[in-house]
Order: sequence, then C-alpha cells, then structure tokens
Amino acid sequence: MAMRKHSISVTVNGMAHQIEVPARRLLSDLLRDDLNLTGTKRGCETGICGACSVLLDGEVVKSCLSLAIQARGRSITTVEGLAQGGDLHPIQQAFMEHGGLQCGYCTPGMMIAASALLKHNATPSCHEVRSGLNGNLCRCTGYASIVSAIMSAAEKIYGS
Amino acid sequence: VYVVRDFEFLEPTSVHDASAMLAEYGDECRIIAGGTALVLALRQRMVNPTHLISIGQIERARGITYDKKVGLRIGALTLHAEVAASPVIRKGYPMLADMAARVADPQVRNQGTIGGNLCYADPATDPPSSLMANDARLVLASKRGERILTIEEFLVDYYTTALEPDEIVTEIQVPPVNYTVGRHVRHLRTAAEHRPMINVAVTVKQNGRQCDDVRLVVGATTPVPARVKTGEDFLRGKAVTVDVAAEAAQIVATSIRPISDMRGSESYRRRVVATVVRRTICEMFGLEPS
Repeated sequence: MAMRKHSISVTVNGMAHQIEVPARRLLSDLLRDDLNLTGTKRGCETGICGACSVLLDGEVVKSCLSLAIQARGRSITTVEGLAQGGDLHPIQQAFMEHGGLQCGYCTPGMMIAASALLKHNATPSCHEVRSGLNGNLCRCTGYASIVSAIMSAAEKIYGS
Repeated sequence: VYVVRDFEFLEPTSVHDASAMLAEYGDECRIIAGGTALVLALRQRMVNPTHLISIGQIERARGITYDKKVGLRIGALTLHAEVAASPVIRKGYPMLADMAARVADPQVRNQGTIGGNLCYADPATDPPSSLMANDARLVLASKRGERILTIEEFLVDYYTTALEPDEIVTEIQVPPVNYTVGRHVRHLRTAAEHRPMINVAVTVKQNGRQCDDVRLVVGATTPVPARVKTGEDFLRGKAVTVDVAAEAAQIVATSIRPISDMRGSESYRRRVVATVVRRTICEMFGLEPS
C-alpha cells in the first residue's frame, strides 16, 4: 500500500522549497538526495557521530534522527549555508588555519555544532567548546586542533 | 532508498483525537514527539508501526509555568534544552536545569522532549531520577479523562510504563521546593559517553549540619530509578559528618539491586554508587570527603 505523501515547505540556507515527501523521509536524506546538499554527511546513522548535524531554526540537531516532515515550516542551515557571498565563514577559515580536519568527514557537523555553540557563547572556555562538541565524533585528527580552531573563530567573530 | 518502513503520519490537535487514534491503531502505531529515540528504533526496524501519531500539535502539552503555591508545570513536549534554559526552572529548581543541561548531547537536547524521555523509560537516562527526587507527578490524559501518577507509579520496569494504550503524557508537575538543597550527579563510564551508568539525585532539608529530611534516588543502574528508603531513614534526623555520609552511602549501595551488563558489573556499580552518594552528601553539607 502506498502511503500518503506530504507537501512540506522548508527554508534551506535562506531559500524556500516546497517538496513532496513520504513521512518516512529522513531529514538527512531530504537534504542530500532531494536537494543535493551533500555537505551534510551520513556517518554512523545511529545518532552518535553528529556528522549529519544541521541547524534547525538556529539550533543544532541531528538530521539522521529527524523526519523531514518534522522540519515543516522551519528554517534549516547546512554547512553550505555558512559561507556568505563567496567568503568563508570565520569558523571555516579557522578550521583551515588550525588544521581542524584530516579526512574531513566530520567537519561539516563540527562546524555546524560550533556555529550553534558560538551563537550562545561568545567567549567559550576550552571545556565549554568540548561540551558543545559532545555530540560530534572525529575519528582521525583528534580534537585539539578543532577546539583551537573554534576558540580562534570566537575571537575573530566577537573580538578578543 | 528508504531505510525506514513506510507509515502514515497523523497529527491530532487534541488529546481526544490522539487518544482515539491510539485506541484505533493499538500496537500498530507509535507516538512521536521529538523522535530521537523513536527514529533510531524505526531506522533499525526494532519497531515497524503502520501509523505514527505526532503529538506536536497538541498545544496543552507545551509550555512551562510556575506558581508559588502549585509549583512547576512542564509541558511534556518541552525540549531538554528548554528545561535547561528556562529562567523559572533555573531559579526555582536549579538541580533540574543543571541535569537537563547535561542530558545526552546538544543535538539531542534540542530535539528530545522531557515527556518522550519519560515515556521511553530507557533506564540509562537522567531526567526520571531528578524528577523523582523532586516528588514530581505526571498527568496522563486520554479521551476517558485524566489521572495523575507519581514517577514511581509511572515507571514500571525497563522500557515499560503505566501508560494505557490510549493515553499520552501531557505534563509534568513538580511541587514547590520543600528542601534546602538538591543535587543530581551522574557517573559516566567514559567522559565521551552520553548515557549515565549511574545517577544519584538527592534533595535535603538542612538545619546547619542536621539533616531534617531527605529524598535520595538512585537511577540509571537499576531497571527503574527508586528512592532508597533505608538510606533516607538512616540520614533523617542525623547530624551529618563525613563518617555518617560514608555509612549512608554503604547502606544505599547494599540496598539497591543493580543490573549487571557489559557497561558495568553489579559489584562495580555498587562501589561507584557508594562513592557517588558519599561525595554528594559531603558536598551538600559542606564537608570535605576523605
């Protein structure tokens, strides 16, 4: 039996979309497969690794644990939405300068989580940065350079 | 490619309609609130409902209110992050706000609801213990009416609650604070783990070093959290010293029936419970644990 499809409106990186989805469509699949925004990664797909993190109305969530229909009428920011007008976001610039990545698979989720963290806390301590990244795993580069990138981005965004 | 089996998505706007749908579809349906636990279970095909009943449109299950006489009311759909950030909870019930600020990880706190957490009845979680130490109650509603249960009555066993098939939890009620100080302490097996192996929630009414009254809950290491009455009775009325705290901790550790699994054996869990209880009581009474 074919289940009913739902027509949902979502704003992704500032652009409004009207999309038909079955209720079982995951938000991560909507972004990657329907909208071709493949910056958002499918990692563990069990809600542990955070590679699929996106901002939903400005707060960080895991898109692999969300149904697309739960995002109806809401605003989503993916890693593709961080850079503005061709300029890297200060968080992206800092990850580059501090070597905050190796294979890069966790990086979109890390940067999205970092942007949510810095929205709430302009001067995070090292411990607060680590707590803010508690839902994101990196399996290769380790966390030291990621943490220093985020602390440096905070200074760049808010001034020291 | 869909990893999740197909289902109908229903969105009742009232308790009455939600309850009617639950009664109609029975075991074939599941309620979805934040979805952090359910979507994972759907992905892994641990549950394969034909209908999901989203309760997100039920307005009366939202919001946080506080009244000096009645106490705190937390709508079941309140996110963990909203509990953590709520000015009235931070001011009046700081142990609940502190606990909520550390549940799982930032993403789960922005998606998961306090009502969903309680209804899932996962033993390895923090909110039930903390709410129990605050003498909280849950409002269960259906088209047949409402009933109010304590957390103790609500949590029956591992992943099992007292909810009838046609009921939903609409709100959590926490009475006005009748204690001096409250603490929720959790022990993680590793710093990176998100699920507590043990938690201890304690509220005490203090008169200097004297313990006039106490509620002491151990959770996450037993199938359901529970007050440890032997420990409470021992502490009540005593002048608390480091030795008294240590003795209470031993009584608590030997009174509980911990589970034993790959995350920790029964004897290990007892030892950690004793240490956490001892340190927590000492800290609450301004004592330096030995």
